[in-house]
Amino acid sequence: MSEPNTPPVPEVPEAPAGPYVYDYKAAPFRQIAMPKTVPLPSRQTYLAEQKAAAEADEAKWQKMLADYEVAKTKAEAEGKDAPKAPVRPVPRKDDNDLKTPVPEEAKDADLLKLQTLLGDKVEEIFEQAGELVCQVKKEAILEALTLCREDAALKYEMLADQSATHYPAAKDFAFSVVYHLTSISRRKRLRLRILVPEGFVPESACPLYPSANWMEREIYDMLGIRFANHPDMTRILCPEDWEGYPLRKDYPTVGWGQRDISFREDRSGMLERIALQKAGQLGINLKQPKAD
Amino acid sequence: MGMNQPSALEHILITTKVEKVMNWSRATSVWPVTFGLACCAIEMMAAGASRFDFDRFGAGIFRASPRQADLMIIAGTVTYKMAPIIKTLYDQMPEPKWVMAMGSCATAGGPFDSYHTIQGVDKVIPVDVYIPGCPPRPEAFIYGFLKLQDKIMTSSLADRYKDIFEEVG
Repeated sequence: MSEPNTPPVPEVPEAPAGPYVYDYKAAPFRQIAMPKTVPLPSRQTYLAEQKAAAEADEAKWQKMLADYEVAKTKAEAEGKDAPKAPVRPVPRKDDNDLKTPVPEEAKDADLLKLQTLLGDKVEEIFEQAGELVCQVKKEAILEALTLCREDAALKYEMLADQSATHYPAAKDFAFSVVYHLTSISRRKRLRLRILVPEGFVPESACPLYPSANWMEREIYDMLGIRFANHPDMTRILCPEDWEGYPLRKDYPTVGWGQRDISFREDRSGMLERIALQKAGQLGINLKQPKAD
Repeated sequence: MGMNQPSALEHILITTKVEKVMNWSRATSVWPVTFGLACCAIEMMAAGASRFDFDRFGAGIFRASPRQADLMIIAGTVTYKMAPIIKTLYDQMPEPKWVMAMGSCATAGGPFDSYHTIQGVDKVIPVDVYIPGCPPRPEAFIYGFLKLQDKIMTSSLADRYKDIFEEVG
């Protein structure tokens, strides 16, 4: 029986007759194992998992009881001794050292205030390991950030970090964008989170937090999420002519063949292209006029 | 006067080849370009500082411009984005010029078998000496430099001509 999600094994081509060239397409790193779970910390998901586990335990116990009843009546009919009554298994004690902290109910005043101010635009609030997390609707992120920055009771002045994660196994979203806010005056930290599907363009945080500029460019560079009203939505780490978004889960470790280009002979024409670009900035025409 | 005895003229004159004098002067005054890419550059700086004193070999003058340098030490990881810049710097250096690939990243990509790393700087520019290590200690670096000096001393002008004008494949 074959699993449906197993990636197909690529056919290994025949060895080339000429000089040995490392074939990236047949390389083991070229194969991608897509994740099958969505490891997104969330209290709702945690509660649902707990409920499902409890229901499964209960169903197992009921089945054990029913089996016992059947065995008992059968033994009585045959005149044998009654079988042993089943004992409900005690739930195993959790080994908390190895488990991730449980997402707990939000009790912090900041989270509760955010919920009262934003109303139904808040999807979820919870605390995990003493860290505050607030997930808002993807259209309301700018409003939530404005509140966090401007509200006198919140005063989160600094956007310490902004990052995103790819969740290909999730059904109704593809990425989570996380804003790590820090309040210097109140010495507190808060995490805002939105879940965006593929192709959605969230509002940029640049008008509020200028430090978001490069972080949003990095998110665009690595995961391909564009931000609306961003002053300069270009790649920041990869070269400008890069193809693909390297931090997506379907991107192979060795890339899509960019490494094959030999700069030594400038086969890609990249050096020539850069030269033309620089010359254009200086107002020099390096291109030879074509003879018709 | 036997053949093994130096003549009176040879007491006051040394005869040699022009090529050998040129090689000697080049090998003992190699000026590297100030250029570091990653952690190997720290070891390069350590080799240049007073404890290891790279200047003993005539190579302590790190030039800030590639146009005044003879040696390029690729000290660190070469990324895809940095490769055209390295190529430009190399092209700006005057002949004769030499390249040392320092550390496993510059030699063969090192641990970064990934999309952004050039698997060895020899895919971009020709390399004379490879120094293994991650990063190499200054002693290894100095040993590699001594090997480069040997190479310079044994090179001939004809070799250089061959390298430039008759490069095969």
